[in-house]
Amino acid sequence: MLPLSLLNAAQNKPMVRTLHNFLQERRNVNGHLVNCDNFMNITLREVYQTNADGDRFWKVKECYIRGSTIKYLRVPDALLDVVKEDQTRAREAGKGARGGTHVGGVGRGRGGARGGPPRGGRARGRGI
Amino acid sequence: MSSLQGYVDRRVLLILQDGRAIIGVLSGYDQKSNIVLSDSKERVYSIDDGVEEIPLGLYLVKGDMIILIGEIDEERDSTIDLSTIHADPIPPIRY
Amino acid sequence: MLIFSVFKTLTDQRVTVELKNDLSITGTLKSVDQFLNIRLDAIEVSDQARHPHMMAVKNCFIRGSVVRYVQLPAEHVDTQLLEDATRREAASQTKR
Repeated sequence: MLPLSLLNAAQNKPMVRTLHNFLQERRNVNGHLVNCDNFMNITLREVYQTNADGDRFWKVKECYIRGSTIKYLRVPDALLDVVKEDQTRAREAGKGARGGTHVGGVGRGRGGARGGPPRGGRARGRGI
Repeated sequence: MSSLQGYVDRRVLLILQDGRAIIGVLSGYDQKSNIVLSDSKERVYSIDDGVEEIPLGLYLVKGDMIILIGEIDEERDSTIDLSTIHADPIPPIRY
Repeated sequence: MLIFSVFKTLTDQRVTVELKNDLSITGTLKSVDQFLNIRLDAIEVSDQARHPHMMAVKNCFIRGSVVRYVQLPAEHVDTQLLEDATRREAASQTKR
């Protein structure tokens, strides 16, 4: 399973925790993942940020984090099964139904459309 | 990076640039060696206390952060009593 | 690229890899790739008492960018051949 398909499925799900490393300063960032791309640049909403020592907190409405500054992301455990299911379903639906199902999938809550056919997800051009 | 294939669904130890040691089941990876670990735990080493395991759940680690990925020999691992191990944490990378 | 080839000729030999975090690991070289990422089998950490973190690990993948040194088995490196190959490569680069 590809790391990015996990992240794609994590969109609009609560509680993604990231640690990022802006100018050698380690900060924790908690929030709802709204969007991500292939560089792992992400946008979060309802964000709680801490400083390196973890003794100061900021609440931020929305923020964008450059992928290259991220060290790791913590995602809800349940997502692993969601993604695995999606992939088997996509594989089974697979070859025949290509194109039809995953084009207009924005309003589809379950991430199924986005997880999509395993290698189809290159052009995800929704702006931030 | 084809050589990570053999580690899929195995229990592995990741050592990161900041010196942290994380164990978990390697559920996925990509060309940049970004890694998905499920059921992961951080092993925190200290000289004074035994090893502490902190559950982290599902974790996505960026490839740039990774120094080493080791396959854990479950049999050998189960014979080790972590609480008896006293060691300094692994130092972070110094270029 | 030359060093990549050297490593490829050394597969199945015992090598010692020293990392930039001072960890030193000896193991059987299983594979290398273009980034000089290294796979080692049957590994031993040099200072087991100081670094017990890898006790239960039998084989590992090391990212090339964090390797400080690799100690090679001298008897398996043909330094004469390597010198010649280096000169040849240097010559072909100046010509270009």
